[in-house]
Amino acid sequence: MHEVSIAQSILEIAEKECRNAGHSTIQSIEVVIGSASGILPDSLLMVFEILKDETLAAGASLVIREIPLGGSCRGCGREFTTEEQFVLECPHCGSPDFRLLSGRELNITAIEVQ
Amino acid sequence: MKINVVSRILEANDRLAMENRKLFDRSGTYVINLMSAPGAGKTTLLKKTITGLAGQIRLGVVEGDIQGTYDAEQIGSLDVPVVQINTGGACHLDAGMISEAVASLDLEGMDLLVIENVGNLVCPAEFNVGEHMKVMLLSISEGHDKPLKYPLMFQKSSALVINKIDLKPYVDADIGKIRKDALSLNPSLNLFEVSCKTGEGMDGWLNWLKETAIRHSKDSPRA
Repeated sequence: MHEVSIAQSILEIAEKECRNAGHSTIQSIEVVIGSASGILPDSLLMVFEILKDETLAAGASLVIREIPLGGSCRGCGREFTTEEQFVLECPHCGSPDFRLLSGRELNITAIEVQ
Repeated sequence: MKINVVSRILEANDRLAMENRKLFDRSGTYVINLMSAPGAGKTTLLKKTITGLAGQIRLGVVEGDIQGTYDAEQIGSLDVPVVQINTGGACHLDAGMISEAVASLDLEGMDLLVIENVGNLVCPAEFNVGEHMKVMLLSISEGHDKPLKYPLMFQKSSALVINKIDLKPYVDADIGKIRKDALSLNPSLNLFEVSCKTGEGMDGWLNWLKETAIRHSKDSPRA
């Protein structure tokens, strides 16, 4: 949840970067959303379309790259990725002792400006 | 023209959280972020903690609710500095709200600040506000399925206080399952079983909290 405040933050960061580079129009914004970040890409897109009006990104598209949940198991030593939004145990060996390598990202990675 | 950006979207909140933390460390104030579902007993636990540690440690409180000053009034009647935040709709406290709230508190004279978050088992876990530790409260009347249903809260917390154990004869909750599931999510969780109503188990919680706060004051260099 919180797609509204996330979209607002995305627009703030993008506008700041755009102005710092001496430009005034944002054509697209690229973000990376982990599958376990708690943010739903479809909701984020919907909210972005509403909030972008009257900003430098009024005509911009939001490009979302989703990252699956991935971890490294301390039990069997193997790495794994999963479509699930949450894991309690290694899908290979069932050990609960693993560390997350990916899936909680919430980053802005690039903007296209003119 | 493409500009590469290296920025976490929650960077603004986390930057403010870090500034809050620096403020707390400068004054030697240990800060806990107390979270739970509505009605688990946060304010009651806080009141019992205040009276239980009276004279031993200097406490302050930030109350977070969507609306109203009921909780702050309850704390205020115990003669402890308290600030009430009304979020007006936001379901959790964020670093900006805490930053504004603590501006009206004398942190220099405070060993322990408790931030009582908005009652909510989902969102508070996602936001750092500058606290040293998140503490979760779960009452047994909520059921023993909560840890696995709301994993992030349990993973982000350093302590879990299992409350209302006086209701054991009247509810079906399996406390052993709560402990097992919570520890499977977070093996380093400190567990306490208490009844704020009868006082059972409260000594363990109070002593641990006091020692943790005092140890921090000793360890952190004050500017």
